[in-house]
Amino acid sequence: MIKVFPTSLLCRASLVGVGFAALMASTTLAQGKPLAGVTLTLASQNDQFGAVLAKLAPKFKEDTGADLRVEILSYGELLTKTTADFIGDTKGYDLVTMDIVWAGQYAENGYSVDLTDWVARDAAELELDDIYPVILESLGQYDGRYVAFPFAAYANVLAYRKDLFEAAELAVPATMEDFVADAKALTDASKNQYGFVANGQMGPAVAQDWMQYNSQLGGSILGADGKPALNSPENVHSLAVYKELFADTAPPGAIEYDWGGREESFRQGLVAMMQTWSVGAPGYSDPAISNVVGKVGIAPAPVAAGMAPDYGVGGWGMAINADITPAQQEAAWTFIKWLVSKPIHKEFNLEGAGSFMRKSQMTDPDLLAKFDFLPVIAKTYENGNGEYRPRIPQYPELQDLLGTAVNSVLAGAEEPQAALDEAQAEAEELF
Amino acid sequence: MSQSGVIDQQDGALSQSRPARRRLPFFGSYTDNRRLFLFCLGAPAVLYVLLVGVWPLAQGVWYSFFDYNLLKPNRTKFVGLDNYVDIFADRSARQAILNTFQFTIFSVAIQLVLGFGLALLLWRDSRFNRICLAFLLIPATITPLVVGLIYKALLGADYGLIGYFLANAGIGPRTGLMTDGSTAPWTLILIDCWEWTPLMALILLAGLKSLPSDVLEAGQADGATSLQRFTMLIVPLMLPSIFLALVLRTMDAFRVFDTVYVTTGGGPNDATNTLMLLAVKEGLQFFNVGYASAIGNVTILFIAIMASVLIFCVRRADVRINGR
Repeated sequence: MIKVFPTSLLCRASLVGVGFAALMASTTLAQGKPLAGVTLTLASQNDQFGAVLAKLAPKFKEDTGADLRVEILSYGELLTKTTADFIGDTKGYDLVTMDIVWAGQYAENGYSVDLTDWVARDAAELELDDIYPVILESLGQYDGRYVAFPFAAYANVLAYRKDLFEAAELAVPATMEDFVADAKALTDASKNQYGFVANGQMGPAVAQDWMQYNSQLGGSILGADGKPALNSPENVHSLAVYKELFADTAPPGAIEYDWGGREESFRQGLVAMMQTWSVGAPGYSDPAISNVVGKVGIAPAPVAAGMAPDYGVGGWGMAINADITPAQQEAAWTFIKWLVSKPIHKEFNLEGAGSFMRKSQMTDPDLLAKFDFLPVIAKTYENGNGEYRPRIPQYPELQDLLGTAVNSVLAGAEEPQAALDEAQAEAEELF
Repeated sequence: MSQSGVIDQQDGALSQSRPARRRLPFFGSYTDNRRLFLFCLGAPAVLYVLLVGVWPLAQGVWYSFFDYNLLKPNRTKFVGLDNYVDIFADRSARQAILNTFQFTIFSVAIQLVLGFGLALLLWRDSRFNRICLAFLLIPATITPLVVGLIYKALLGADYGLIGYFLANAGIGPRTGLMTDGSTAPWTLILIDCWEWTPLMALILLAGLKSLPSDVLEAGQADGATSLQRFTMLIVPLMLPSIFLALVLRTMDAFRVFDTVYVTTGGGPNDATNTLMLLAVKEGLQFFNVGYASAIGNVTILFIAIMASVLIFCVRRADVRINGR
């Protein structure tokens, strides 16, 4: 019989030695990569950061040993698929990007892991002092508890055409009153040039943009008692101003614009001013998609005369699915800490995520060289307001009511007071 | 003699030539076995229909009697017909019902007329007609969602290839055809006609091709004019095809969603809101399963009523024209 394996004592000892060495080596490797063998599945919104998250996945594996699968979904898909996952306890996703306005629903239904204790435990590692307080509160917390951890903050800013303002010898508007006057002054329909653009399409698009302008004009969706106050005099006034802006200064088709249409009209050079999320700002300098390269300035969004600075803040937090095992939850938390760490988050933004949220990023030479509007974002965060869109469980229904009411006013079907009275009556039934 | 009779006789003949087999327990006569065999053949299909069609439908009906929201499962309670009452009490839902009927009736009617015209033009079998038919069918091969996006881009007042010139020429509202409550529904009807008229033409053309040529030739020999042949021969003989085309398109048009969703989102001011748009919003945006199920059931009910009316009308026409 042929002996395939050596059986002498020496050979056996050699094999044991080799095996032991291999075991030692693998243990050493495992110490460097604590999540080896773990796979995390992340449901991401299809914003700029989605592609960057996917791009950073190999680096995460290199640093921790864990595989990261990023599934990029549209807003509607993300909401539907992740909610179905939470309700059905199907554990399809370990990590979910959570829009700031979903926080109420996440908290009320216990969809995500309460991160409060982990944030307190790892505060030093997270360098919380380097993150703006408004971002920590509005992108991650609900009623003082962390339902998610912020990772992609956006600032509402004013994008304006420097060349048109210089030609008209106008200063960048500091108040909403100036904004309206400048929008009218810069509108010349015969030259196909308009002073202002915002979302007009029925639904979330028009509701969200109007809520922003409403806040800057002194209005509020909820009253001091936390109940809806949609038809308050301030809100009716701001809706009348919004309608006036659309009628007198917006491109004719703006009533059907959503975010894409609005941004496109600005990039095509049709419009002089637009309030927008800072995440879109790098796109104005991209000659592949923009006709206004080098002509765009970014400034803080104006507020009504006499109002304290109050700028809109939005964005996304990263939530951990409460249904997954504790070990997966720990691994997911490791990913969040890795993503928001100073060096990785800087790289995240350098790659084009547009998700600045650390104070140190606002003065970082590498980032400033690429994104010269960072000081405006810093000023916005220092006076930021993440609550102008109420982050409450009833938000989706409120947004829908406003989406219909504001659109009907822009379409000329209703007057601001009547439309908001009707919306208010329906909103009261939700509380 | 029926096939089963033949087999029975053969079975009897075989049983005479050899000793009778001992029947296994639970197995009866040949007829019983055959019935069992046929049942087994049909069972998968029946099971499939029960699982995929009947069971979800029954569940949808059941859910519609509850205030059932996936986001608030603890608040689920039986509400009887309240969800149905809410549909007819809600201004937006009432508008959606009216819009859906308007869209269905006008788009299907226009498509029937245009489709019949196209089918008559393409009736003669020639290479040119076959090529034309192939090109005509292109719109029907495009996903409705893509059709919506294409038309949104074309009709936009600011950059649209068509919309820009229409707006500057003073045709339609300055803000674009999709932005005005008086023009948006009709624009959507026209888009639907652009996409689905060729399909209507194809179904009717298939009907025309199957008409008995001897009847038509006899009419011609009797001196009937073209109009007489059309109204007294072609239309009566085409009733089954017309019925098929109408029912298919009516059911499809009543469920319109994609095109509206990407072009107007139901606006402006609910002018283009439809039942399916409402159901999707309630079900997948607010997760209001009870109310969304009620909307779905109302939609099915309306489709069933419309199909019944169509069947009734076609039968009456058939009796009146053909005497059968």
